[in-house]
Amino acid sequence: MSDTAQLASDAGSRDPAVGLRAVRALRTLVDRLEALQVENARDQNWSWQEIAHCLEVSRQAVHKKYAGGRGLLRRER
Amino acid sequence: MFERFTNEARQTVTLAQENSRRLKHPAIGTEHLLLGLLDQQETVSAQILGRHGLDRERADRAVVRLVPHAPKDALDADALETIGIDLAAIREKVEAVFGPGSLDRPPRRDHRGGLFSGRHIPFSKEAKKSLELSLREALALKHRYIGDGHILLGLLREGEGLASRVIADAGIDAATLRQEIVAELGTRRTPG
Repeated sequence: MSDTAQLASDAGSRDPAVGLRAVRALRTLVDRLEALQVENARDQNWSWQEIAHCLEVSRQAVHKKYAGGRGLLRRER
Repeated sequence: MFERFTNEARQTVTLAQENSRRLKHPAIGTEHLLLGLLDQQETVSAQILGRHGLDRERADRAVVRLVPHAPKDALDADALETIGIDLAAIREKVEAVFGPGSLDRPPRRDHRGGLFSGRHIPFSKEAKKSLELSLREALALKHRYIGDGHILLGLLREGEGLASRVIADAGIDAATLRQEIVAELGTRRTPG
């Protein structure tokens, strides 16, 4: 454990500043992992429906987030 | 737009990407294109720059000095450690699948609003512009190909990227450099 992290642990995990910062860091990490995995799934010809099913979100949600909003003629599967 | 690129010009783009990756920079900028040119010592552009005293090592030092080392989008390893998450271990596994730096670049939106992962290093606005200008430089000279020399002309024409800065900091006059490149490229319409 690095000095900073050790210090934070010692200072008490009840410190909201420490806890919230960890949540933010985790969310950033999850966002990046999700983007990599969704892109990988699309590269392997997975449908939005299949991706949505694995992530337990709606097809619309994952499509809106990753495919972008514009373009009525965009390919959809 | 890469159809008319010579092998050296293509290689410049590939090497620019490698340089950006090696330096852990978030994008491919004009400075990485410059390093890509200098990585190929035999090219017209590297030879001319070398005559003016700017070689690979010197340019590399200048880039490292000019570009801030810690990327602003860095993941908060310390914060993750407070809840028992070992970022280094995660990074190692992710990079094994998606390549070096894939977790260190934030996802970004393309012009249609689609979200893309950090797997591929994007070109900076200036680098993109420089490459477009290299095509225009070739057309203006009535050359039917785009070589490394045209990329250097594009970098000079763009003028706002770090490549221009590195060149200027080396005491090289952009106008003189332009003239020399144009003279060296000559009037042949095909590479050689």
